[in-house]
Amino acid sequence: MKKAILAAIAAGLAAFAPVSVSAQVAAPAAPVVTEAPAATPAAAAPADDVAAPAAATDAAGGYTPMAPTKGKGMPTSFEEDAAKSLTFQDQYSDNGEYALWMHDVILMPVITVISLLVLGLLLYVVVRFNRRRNPVASKTTHNTLIEVVWTIVPVIILVIIAVPSITLLARQYETPPADAVTIKATGYQWYWGYTYPDHGDFEVVSNMLDEAAALKAGEPHQLAVDKRMVVPAGVPLRIQTTASDVIHAFAVPSLWFKMDAVPGRLNEKLLTIKEPGVYYGQCSELCGARHGYMPIVIEALPPAEFAAWVKEQGGSMPGEEAAAAAPAPAAEAAPEAAPAT
Amino acid sequence: MASIAPPSPETSRRNLRTGAFAFAGALAMLGLGYASVPLYRLFCQVTGFGGTTMSATESDAARAAAAATGQKISIRFDATTAMGMPWTFRPTQATDTVTIGERDIATYTARNDSAQAITGMATFNVEPEQAGKYFNKIQCFCFTEQTLQPGQEVTMPVLYFVDPAMLDDPNMKGVEQITLSYTFHRAEDPVNPAPTRSN
Amino acid sequence: MATTAEGFDIHDHGHDAHDHADHKPGFFARWFMSTNHKDIGTMYLIFAIIAGIVGGAISGIMRVELAEPGIQYLQWWAQFMGGGNDLNTALHMWNVFITAHGLIMVFFMVMPAMIGGFGNWFVPLMIGAPDMAFPRMNNVSFWLTVAGFISLLFSLFVPGGTGPGAGTGWTVYAPLSTSGSVGPAVDFAIFSLHLAGAGSILGATNFITTIFNMRAPGMTLHKMPLFVWSVLVTAFLLLLALPVLAAAITMLLTDRNFGTTFFNPAGGGDPVLYQHLFWFFGHPEVYIMILPGFGMISQIVATFSKKPVFGYLGMAYAMVAIGVVGFIVWAHHMYTVGLDVNTKMYFTAATMVIAVPTGVKIFSWIATMWGGSISFKSPMVWSMGFIFLFTVGGVTGVVLANGGIDDNLHDTYYVVAHFHYVLSMGAVFSMFAGFYYWFPKMSGRMHSELLSHLHFWTFFVGVNVIFFPQHFLGMQGMPRRYPDYAEAFTFWHQISTYGYYIMAGSMIFFFVNILYALVAGKKAEANPWGEGATTLEWTLPSPPPYHQFETLPVITDAHDYHDHRPATA
Repeated sequence: MKKAILAAIAAGLAAFAPVSVSAQVAAPAAPVVTEAPAATPAAAAPADDVAAPAAATDAAGGYTPMAPTKGKGMPTSFEEDAAKSLTFQDQYSDNGEYALWMHDVILMPVITVISLLVLGLLLYVVVRFNRRRNPVASKTTHNTLIEVVWTIVPVIILVIIAVPSITLLARQYETPPADAVTIKATGYQWYWGYTYPDHGDFEVVSNMLDEAAALKAGEPHQLAVDKRMVVPAGVPLRIQTTASDVIHAFAVPSLWFKMDAVPGRLNEKLLTIKEPGVYYGQCSELCGARHGYMPIVIEALPPAEFAAWVKEQGGSMPGEEAAAAAPAPAAEAAPEAAPAT
Repeated sequence: MASIAPPSPETSRRNLRTGAFAFAGALAMLGLGYASVPLYRLFCQVTGFGGTTMSATESDAARAAAAATGQKISIRFDATTAMGMPWTFRPTQATDTVTIGERDIATYTARNDSAQAITGMATFNVEPEQAGKYFNKIQCFCFTEQTLQPGQEVTMPVLYFVDPAMLDDPNMKGVEQITLSYTFHRAEDPVNPAPTRSN
Repeated sequence: MATTAEGFDIHDHGHDAHDHADHKPGFFARWFMSTNHKDIGTMYLIFAIIAGIVGGAISGIMRVELAEPGIQYLQWWAQFMGGGNDLNTALHMWNVFITAHGLIMVFFMVMPAMIGGFGNWFVPLMIGAPDMAFPRMNNVSFWLTVAGFISLLFSLFVPGGTGPGAGTGWTVYAPLSTSGSVGPAVDFAIFSLHLAGAGSILGATNFITTIFNMRAPGMTLHKMPLFVWSVLVTAFLLLLALPVLAAAITMLLTDRNFGTTFFNPAGGGDPVLYQHLFWFFGHPEVYIMILPGFGMISQIVATFSKKPVFGYLGMAYAMVAIGVVGFIVWAHHMYTVGLDVNTKMYFTAATMVIAVPTGVKIFSWIATMWGGSISFKSPMVWSMGFIFLFTVGGVTGVVLANGGIDDNLHDTYYVVAHFHYVLSMGAVFSMFAGFYYWFPKMSGRMHSELLSHLHFWTFFVGVNVIFFPQHFLGMQGMPRRYPDYAEAFTFWHQISTYGYYIMAGSMIFFFVNILYALVAGKKAEANPWGEGATTLEWTLPSPPPYHQFETLPVITDAHDYHDHRPATA
């Protein structure tokens, strides 16, 4: 909770501090282009050849990839924290927290009790009704009352589960507001492309780092990528997925987010990341040989830093194109980046 | 083959009858499996399942316009090209705000970047999916195949309206923006559209 | 009980009839053109054991590879199978292994053992029929299944895109299986499913006809043993589900080879439709794999508790209910594909409903034991293991049924753990229970109780060590079908691999036990399990004569449905 408030404050402060942003964007001073030349997927470097450490993005600019925090947005090993390795990753979205609550407070106790009940009954039967203790078997074959009870009680339990379950679904299907930051994730064999249609329609092509490069960058291997999907934290995101060749799935466990990327159709879902951070995910639909080699990394930044990153990619914040010559583009960017409430 | 005394002719007849019934059941399910292809398409077209858009006539459009209340909705236009499709395909504008019920026109541009004529076929859907039922296309480049000569660039229109009935649908509550998405596929040689990259 | 058998088996034909009943054809005619349900059942069981060894060996390859991060052995396997030396081929081999493991275990191990093996052996015996309704078709079913297996094995050695073999997963999703996999491997895999599917459809027709028409006089539907009920429901599921799979994969085949576009968006097809069709088959399929197990457990629990099954009608109709509801829950396998909210809510609710009849069954088994006089013979301990482990697999199914929760767990190791708890422990435990239960009847020899108990305990420990940690991996985000993983997943993967070694080692007890029984096993009586065994097969000698029930047993109203034998003379 505390973390969330801090994040909100950070996001808010950043939004009202255009000065720092314009200072950053002043440096490149490149003319703002209406249609940035998108990196075409065909030209994407094969993953093998990607050895450039993530840190070496732009010598001039303000953006350096954020260092990941241990145990945040990534799996935890048994050695690091045994208890944490037994359950879900910590959640960094409201729906994720709700779903985790539902799992931990409702589902987990229910299924544990049921399993233990069955185990207990079996053990009792073993002890009490074995051949020696009970040489003569009863001939009971019916008991209407108990049969009704063990039909009705599970129904009641299921209804109890259904209430938060349906609530969770309803929340997950809330639609993004019109001004949500839109990112389209396209699955290719075997990498992801992230397009920012409202920010100049540029595409970030994201390949997995090999083990050496990942370790050099201080990131978990098999999860680290060369170019991340950078998004603003604390504001609603409209995540859209599609695929170019076969079905992929865009999944980030610490955000409780998974959506298939199906060729020929677009899927869409609202996502709000509560605080800045690096969140790792992996392709979750079998898509061929390198299915395990096309991870997803979301880097959530305070909105102002996100705007700066957009500039570095040759993009623009929404509403900027019209005023390409205007002196303070970041000022216009600010209201867009403000957290929608 | 040593066999036991065969079952009586009466049993054999009954067996054949039951077996034939069961087998007919299996055949019916097989038929249903194939029939599911057109049935699924029809189901989607009627209900908007999976974000399938509706196609409408001018008179539908006129009726919808009459019911318009002046409320606005944002429409997002999305374009994707499938693998092996050497076209540049983009919406002219990423978003537009339209009046619910009133017809509007959106345009996409497509350019054939290759050195040969290529025929493309577009698939489409809208998000959120429940909006499919209310998104009506009067005219669309996606209804037919498009052929572009090498280097040719065309502007392709979509004539559409959003049905004001959406305002009465609780499932559409809170929907502020509808995304209309198109993916262009290469129509020829659908079996092996493109060589897999080897690296 | 043995006297009962003679009472009606021999009747007035006396000695001659017995000779005739045991007259067997020559080797080739007997085993290759067999029309005898017991011989065919035996062949199915041997076939299932062979397929199980192959499928189990493949899972061994996978577990060894997953013991630590990085790619250790796949390159070697790629070359062994005739592929290239590059990383992509190695990774492709992984997909080939997961595909083969899934297809073999589902279509060539569990289904042949449960339905082909135990179903063929004991459905006619239990209902008092001389044989199946269509003995020759029975033979065709078996050899179609074998041909299917050979086609699948063949697919491993021909090109499948990035390397040899079909790397599509057992689900064979388009477009990975169409435009995404060049080469004949996927065609052979699909053809393999056609053959196995055709065999199963014929088998299902045969079982339905047999059960409806061939019951002994007096054996009404409501007097049938629950195992027969379970096979009946299973046969209906096969009959209604498999043709849909056949249609779907035929369309894949024509999409691949003849330019149709059923699932190809470029021609107006929809890859999501393939998933709907596949899972319309696939969900009933999981019940096809477990329902006969339910039936066996019911027989065994009643036998060793010396008590009739508790709530017989509830048990029978719970299976019918599971079968019916099984057809309307398929999309819970596709929660993340892009369903709208109402669809997802419906499938969440419908899926959870299945927990009710399943719960009825679990509790009825316990109630059957309650008040019983239980002897813990090998079939019984496997059954009790089944009841507990199936419950664990069932409750994680309730977790996964929630569409909102599944957004995280979908396609992770949690799902892998879930379906292995219900299949690798549910179905497999029931098969071992059934095997030990009926082995004396089938072979005429007693197996070693000690070895069966050792087999049980080591297997129990092994599979739990394999699969319980996979829940943790799944919740931490480990996706399924990955040959390599981040460092953080190492510990539980290692534990899981150790579990595999324990499980594999425990199988030694199984094989030694069979050998021991066949070579030195005590001769089995007609009914080695005592007064609790009340079904007709125990009225026949062990092994039963080559032809049984030449004079049909007559079931009278002397007993109600929990004794399935004729009134004693």
